[in-house]
Amino acid sequence: MSNRPAPPPLPDDPIDVKQSHVVAEFQHDVALTTCRLDPQARFAFAGAEDFNVYRWSVDGGNESKTVFSGHESWVRCLDFSPDGERLYTAGYDDRIGVWDTAAAKPKPLEMIEAHKGWVRWVKVNRDGTRLVSCGNDNLIKLWSLPDGKLIQEFRGHERHPYAVLFHPDEQRLASFDLMGNIKEWDIASGKELRSFEAKFMWGFDQKFRADMGGARDMIFSEDGKTLIVAGLTNVTNAFAGVHNPMILLFNWENFEPQHKLTDASYKGMSWGVRTHPEGFLAAVGAPQGGSKGAIWFWKPGEEKPFHTVTLSHCGRGLDMTADGRRIAVAQFDGLLKIYQLTRKS
Amino acid sequence: MRRDTGCHRIDHALSRRGFLAGTAAGAAAMGGVLTPAQADQLQSGQKRLLQVFLQGGFSQFETFDPKPGTKYGGPFRQIETSVPGMMICELLPHMATRMHKLSIIRSINLRTNDHGKGRLFMEKGRNVGEFPYVGSVAAKYLAPPNPTLPTYLHITTRGLSDNTNAFLEAQHAQMKLPGTKAPDNLARPDKLTVEAARRRADFRAQLNERFSGGKGQSAFTETFDSSFEMAERLMSQKGLLEAEPSGKDLERYGSHPFGRRCVLARNLLQNGATVVKVTHHGYDTHAENFNFHLEQLGEFDQTFCMLLDDIEATGMLDSTLIMVYSEFGRTPKINQRYGRDHWGASVSMALGGAGIKPGVTVGATNKEGTEVSDREVDAGHLFHTYFSALGIDPTADHNVPGKSIPIGDPAKSSIKELLV
Repeated sequence: MSNRPAPPPLPDDPIDVKQSHVVAEFQHDVALTTCRLDPQARFAFAGAEDFNVYRWSVDGGNESKTVFSGHESWVRCLDFSPDGERLYTAGYDDRIGVWDTAAAKPKPLEMIEAHKGWVRWVKVNRDGTRLVSCGNDNLIKLWSLPDGKLIQEFRGHERHPYAVLFHPDEQRLASFDLMGNIKEWDIASGKELRSFEAKFMWGFDQKFRADMGGARDMIFSEDGKTLIVAGLTNVTNAFAGVHNPMILLFNWENFEPQHKLTDASYKGMSWGVRTHPEGFLAAVGAPQGGSKGAIWFWKPGEEKPFHTVTLSHCGRGLDMTADGRRIAVAQFDGLLKIYQLTRKS
Repeated sequence: MRRDTGCHRIDHALSRRGFLAGTAAGAAAMGGVLTPAQADQLQSGQKRLLQVFLQGGFSQFETFDPKPGTKYGGPFRQIETSVPGMMICELLPHMATRMHKLSIIRSINLRTNDHGKGRLFMEKGRNVGEFPYVGSVAAKYLAPPNPTLPTYLHITTRGLSDNTNAFLEAQHAQMKLPGTKAPDNLARPDKLTVEAARRRADFRAQLNERFSGGKGQSAFTETFDSSFEMAERLMSQKGLLEAEPSGKDLERYGSHPFGRRCVLARNLLQNGATVVKVTHHGYDTHAENFNFHLEQLGEFDQTFCMLLDDIEATGMLDSTLIMVYSEFGRTPKINQRYGRDHWGASVSMALGGAGIKPGVTVGATNKEGTEVSDREVDAGHLFHTYFSALGIDPTADHNVPGKSIPIGDPAKSSIKELLV
């Protein structure tokens, strides 16, 4: 149980990630699977390996922990309505949960039977009228909000799609599957428009005869020109997790890889990535072999991160406030940390 | 201790008379669907062993001992089976509808987390010493006098070359088939005529006769001779090994390598094989245990069930012991890579077919699956159980001249509640 006091008000200091420091820390007794900050950055949410989602008030200490119970399996992806009033949860119990974000005693407002197999990803569009999901039935599904009705199915992935997003133009979707296939979809027609095989983010383990790959996080740049994918590369032993974390910057206009960011000093996986308003990337990574995780700060195009924060354990999720002054990181050891990317007050 | 140190020829321990009556009737009833070879097998009362080995150590949580909603339970749910009260992981929906034909053991403690030691213990029923694998023992005591195929076949694309027969005769050693193709160099070379091959075989036999007269040389000649015999048997069955599965088989079993291997396993069993082991690789899931089990068991579940269905449909289920097993299980604790590591302390497996009471669950683990809480057994008990089920007394000695070597570990015994 953390007794860390509430974080101080945000200062006007300039962003300086080399002075990043923890301003709030929340502890759960089970490994966390992902994390998000709500749009107003009032709350930090995390999924866990115990079927529940947990909410903490960012300035409320560990005692503010509130359980969102209703799924019958793990939740590995969360998203919010633009006003922050609704929380959407992607459950490995095939369902999408709909919740009142700030409820004192949360109960699911709705559980949508969404996919045959895990729901791996949910994402709400900019005006909050649509939600897109993907699951282990190899389908991408478009839902209307708030009624939760299915509008469109997108068929074309032959292996599990791991993530799906709205392009900022809201006319197209982007998806990424186990095999490293990036697909562009036309929302209106449901048709696949373009496809690219990012085989460098996939590997077939000859010894164990199995595929390893897929996106572990995925976002668009604000201008929609770049798809940014967190995952892995250089698979040498899939079953032992021997590969390198990778952040792919994929040029959405010419549909070609633009930058491949890897830190060879780390083995494992990248589980989260965000773009900072000042143009750099923050990514969180998972270890292989040792127990240390990392937050990497990258400038696109540079070979090495310009700053790295070592984590006590594997980082499994990352989110950032809209102003870029704080990030949240979920860890394997049940810790959810809020970092401030400025000097200490 | 139930060791019998007197002369106890295993041949005397076999009890086939009662079995013959039942299978002959079954064969008559199945007359319309059996091939002549299958009908002959059933008439002969031959028993068989099918080993389905999930290499690497499958997770007991994600198969036969699910613990959903507990600390280490993982993301998968449990589902009901055709046996009231028996729950298994949702990754095995096809098996779930057939559990009234199979039984589960949830309380195996191997006391090792090592691949090699776990595998050898599960195969030999003893954790130290040079003893034959269950497949070699079954081959020795179940194979007919003039088998049409090598008696212990292992369909696998890789694996160690073990001394599976230990002190048993060389012809009971495991022969590996490289996936679903015939071994290399199986065909008679074009330049070697049938007559020349016959003369060569005669010459080899003459040399064997002279050579085996020397002290200690008979074992060598027997080993070489069995190699030739195995090769000859395989040559005569080359078509069986190379046959392309039918479209219907591929649809039912799957067109992936494991599907094809199981079609071959079925064909071998239906054509006189005594012991067939088929390996499905890829369960050593130190990372992404859940994604990999989703993939691997997705292949295994339907494929295995088609094999089970076909064995039953041809009337061979009552005479074929079926094992689904690994070298150990996987840790309750989920590591940083969403993996589970090696775990021998609470392992599960499934058994069915010949001599096995169906629909039984043996033993239990505690709430979080960290240890056996009821009816602890190990590979020694399992070894006894296999042979009791096959009608072979595991407390009897092997038929090795001048030595008293019990088939099963004398300190262990059969799991009685599993036996018919």
